[in-house]
Amino acid sequence: MKDLKHLIFFEDLLQEANNKLVRQAKDDGKLALGYTCYFMPEVLLDLPGCFSVRLRAPRCTSPDIATYYLSARVCHYARSLMERALEGGYNFLDAQLATETCTATCRFQEHLQQKGLDSVEDMRIIDNDKFFCSFIDVPFKNNENGYEHYKTQLRAHVLDELSAHFGVDTSDAALLKAVEQHNEVCRLINEIGDYRKLDNPTITGYEFSVIVLVSMCCPKELILPYLRETAEEMKTRKPDAKKSYRCKVVVAGSENDDPDFIKLIESCGALVVCDRYCYGAVEARQPIVIEEGQDVLDAIARHYLKTSNCPRFMPQDEMRTRKQRLAELCRDYKADGIIVTSNKFCEYWSYERVIDTVIMRRDYGIPVCSIEKEYINSASGQLRTRFQAFVESIEIKQIQEGS
Amino acid sequence: MKKCKCGKILGKLLGITLLANVVLFIVFFFDLDGKLLYYVVEPFLKKHYDNMERKDVLKESGYDVFKYEKAPYDM
Amino acid sequence: MAKKFDIKALKKTDWKKVAKDFWYGKPHGERRIGDLYIEKTGLYKHREWRGVKDTMYYFYAVWLYNYAMMVADIMKFGGIVPFAKGVWRYRWVGQTYLPVIHWYDRGLQGLRGEALRASPWHYRGMTSTTIKQFMRFFTSDTRLNGGKQNEHYKTNIAHKETVWGGIFYPWAGELTNLPLEMIPYFVTCHVNSHTVQNYIDAVQSIGLPGDPCPMCQAEAGLFVLDDVPDYAPAFITCNEACDASVASTVLQDWLFDKPLYALPMPMQFDDPLVHKHVMKEIEGAWKFIEEQYGIPFSYEKLVEKLKKQNELMEFEWEKWEVAAKTSYYPINGVAQALYRIYYSQYGDWEVWHECDAKVRKVLEKCVSKKINTFPNTRHRVIAWSCAPLYFSDWPTWAYNCWGLNVVINMDSLMFDMKIRTDSYENTLADMATYHMWAPMRRMAVGGMQHIFELWEYMEKFNCDMVAMYDQLQCKGMQGVHGLFEDEFRKRNVNAFWMPHALPDSRTVTRAELRRMINDYMTTVMHEEPLDPSLLDFDDSMIW
Repeated sequence: MKDLKHLIFFEDLLQEANNKLVRQAKDDGKLALGYTCYFMPEVLLDLPGCFSVRLRAPRCTSPDIATYYLSARVCHYARSLMERALEGGYNFLDAQLATETCTATCRFQEHLQQKGLDSVEDMRIIDNDKFFCSFIDVPFKNNENGYEHYKTQLRAHVLDELSAHFGVDTSDAALLKAVEQHNEVCRLINEIGDYRKLDNPTITGYEFSVIVLVSMCCPKELILPYLRETAEEMKTRKPDAKKSYRCKVVVAGSENDDPDFIKLIESCGALVVCDRYCYGAVEARQPIVIEEGQDVLDAIARHYLKTSNCPRFMPQDEMRTRKQRLAELCRDYKADGIIVTSNKFCEYWSYERVIDTVIMRRDYGIPVCSIEKEYINSASGQLRTRFQAFVESIEIKQIQEGS
Repeated sequence: MKKCKCGKILGKLLGITLLANVVLFIVFFFDLDGKLLYYVVEPFLKKHYDNMERKDVLKESGYDVFKYEKAPYDM
Repeated sequence: MAKKFDIKALKKTDWKKVAKDFWYGKPHGERRIGDLYIEKTGLYKHREWRGVKDTMYYFYAVWLYNYAMMVADIMKFGGIVPFAKGVWRYRWVGQTYLPVIHWYDRGLQGLRGEALRASPWHYRGMTSTTIKQFMRFFTSDTRLNGGKQNEHYKTNIAHKETVWGGIFYPWAGELTNLPLEMIPYFVTCHVNSHTVQNYIDAVQSIGLPGDPCPMCQAEAGLFVLDDVPDYAPAFITCNEACDASVASTVLQDWLFDKPLYALPMPMQFDDPLVHKHVMKEIEGAWKFIEEQYGIPFSYEKLVEKLKKQNELMEFEWEKWEVAAKTSYYPINGVAQALYRIYYSQYGDWEVWHECDAKVRKVLEKCVSKKINTFPNTRHRVIAWSCAPLYFSDWPTWAYNCWGLNVVINMDSLMFDMKIRTDSYENTLADMATYHMWAPMRRMAVGGMQHIFELWEYMEKFNCDMVAMYDQLQCKGMQGVHGLFEDEFRKRNVNAFWMPHALPDSRTVTRAELRRMINDYMTTVMHEEPLDPSLLDFDDSMIW
């Protein structure tokens, strides 16, 4: 396939958190608001005068000082973010809007927070006098009580804080504007992503993951023109005459913001057609629908709790039906198998991965490759062997079914 | 005579009690209860549990994703 | 070679001293408790001679009394037949609860006088409550009762062990709440640390990595090894204490396969805005119970039970007052820690009150007569974070070996509150707080302001040393490791770290833990042991 016009530019943007577009927005006087988890609605951080940055720590391979603070037994992602913060890599942030949705990232973000306690000295990691870190409590259930609670939290700990600290306009009109912008990003990403549903997709999983990531790590306003252009370009993009992959897979699992991981899978012959993981598009790039007469914040709160497939959700029906949804993704994207991943030390996905591995294979007949990975996968040899074996097993299955 | 018989019974009871106390104290002091459990009972039970037939839960436990609906109070 | 009889040595013997030791027991520095062990096993060549009075007290009032009471409890709660069936079917009971008296021995070793009179009552309370629960399992279990769902089954409600028993007070006398893992997992680890390893291995055998919290691994492993009784029609779960509890619930739901209500507690529990949310969730749980069992909620019963529970808390505060301000506190570190976490989590139950009444008598005697209950205390220690379950009796060893008196611990301090019963709203609000302060949540995985309450409690309990537990697989505690190091240095606090893997004695063995404390006491504190025989001994195969 012909190279995408902006791919190299996008790849460059992913080399550091404080990338060219972030710097440009900061120069324009915009506020940079960091977050880590889907449960912190990025749309609220994209209010007029602000832009959201989903934190990443690309190329962080040895988080030594972070390991002193968080120990070696906490996930590499949290430690890498901490290391990057300690290196000054997030000093451009004006605020961190935090969630305690997993213990490791919570502890990282608590280190950023100025607590003003006598019992423990604040570290003042982010060298910015105006910087603050505010936590929301995210419910474990997507029921009415959960929506109300979530909405209250978003109002008190995101909107009111932004308004109090920086005078950010948090009116319904401003929220609506942010939602419109968010929805345009989603529309474009989905338009681009839908080419993965074709029998012979015209976009690779790697390319798509780069595009999704830039949409999360760059100011929306500044990345939108490039996304529009890419979507346009995709309309005429032709697939390779000869299929460059041997099977199609869905990747599901815990945090992954490393496009090279997707590249690694694809280099083994499995085209990644769907990305149901933290930092993936399945959840994050669904448009927010506001019903007639509905309160905007209410719509946002409901949207984020309804669209999440996070294994953190505890209602019984929810725990079970998310397996069904995963199987449906496989069907919708015409995937031949699922790669379920969990980051080392990720407690949620350790269990979810084991259960998905059994249930998807046993009850849905979908081949599953179950792997544990690091945040930055420097030891790729073992993973490569696993993926190659998985691709071969799918091919054998297909041959057997064909015969 | 009667007094004598009662005394004998009482004596016997006292003797039995004393003997029981001595035996129990020996069991206690030399940790014979612990030794019996450690060397005899536990290995026997462990062998039994290790050889027990158990359900293979991964194969035999169904997972009906639609079995339980959201309860009205949980909406 | 047999030792030659040495008449000279016999002549040199100080018979007066021998007689004194026989009558009163050897003084602390001369006891050599470590010599009593049979190598590897932790069994005794002979049990400790504590002097005539204390040995006889231990023999009659602890050993014999508790064996007898165990039999009595089994008969009271269902009889020998269900007990035998249960032992035959479930590893966690057969392998664990038979050697329960050795658990007493380990925890009560070296105790004398009033400490020996008070501490065993805590063990008695825990043993009785444990028997009550496993007998209820066996009398209800469809697997042991021909597949029948009998009356016991129909009136039991299952819940995750971290759901506080108080949630079920409104149905006191009508429903029996039985925590799913408290007996098959939690208590077993303290009594026989070998049992739990089967469950951890089982869950890892299906692909779970070794790094998630081993407590949740074991709780899930019970299901994988098909070792959970089928004893109730419905189940209430929660997210206490951490991510792994949430994640393992998915596996439990699959394999338990019963109507389930999730009662998750907010993580940011200091935020006043979360209260309403929790209160609604608790009410949701009550509606769930009403619907599942058809028995209406009773506020009167709830209040009645809460008042009883408040009595337990009031006495706990009295005990803490004595522990904090005097040297007359007659309960040792392990008895304090285990009893407190057991009753505050399980909830009100008559045995707790009976035991407290006995302990109160001893406590009052100690205070009125100013009895120094742990006279060889060199350091008053506060134990912080989550304790190693397989070595929960380490404070006993530490006192005997080094004179380290563990006065208080983090687990005891978590539910530090009474619950108001003056109105439904207040009751519900306080219940929400109590539940949010559940095990390991308030401090270990909670916000930093709570985990660093250590200094405040250290001062309150007049402690000069910290035993810092380092649960290697607890992400919450691992995530504040560096800050603790910084603060210890800055505040010049004497603190030793105790790494461990909660129930799994294979990761860091008891001997390794002892060695770390020994090293700290010799190299940092430059102290000599009180009992050198306890410095290094092989108990690698101990229960």
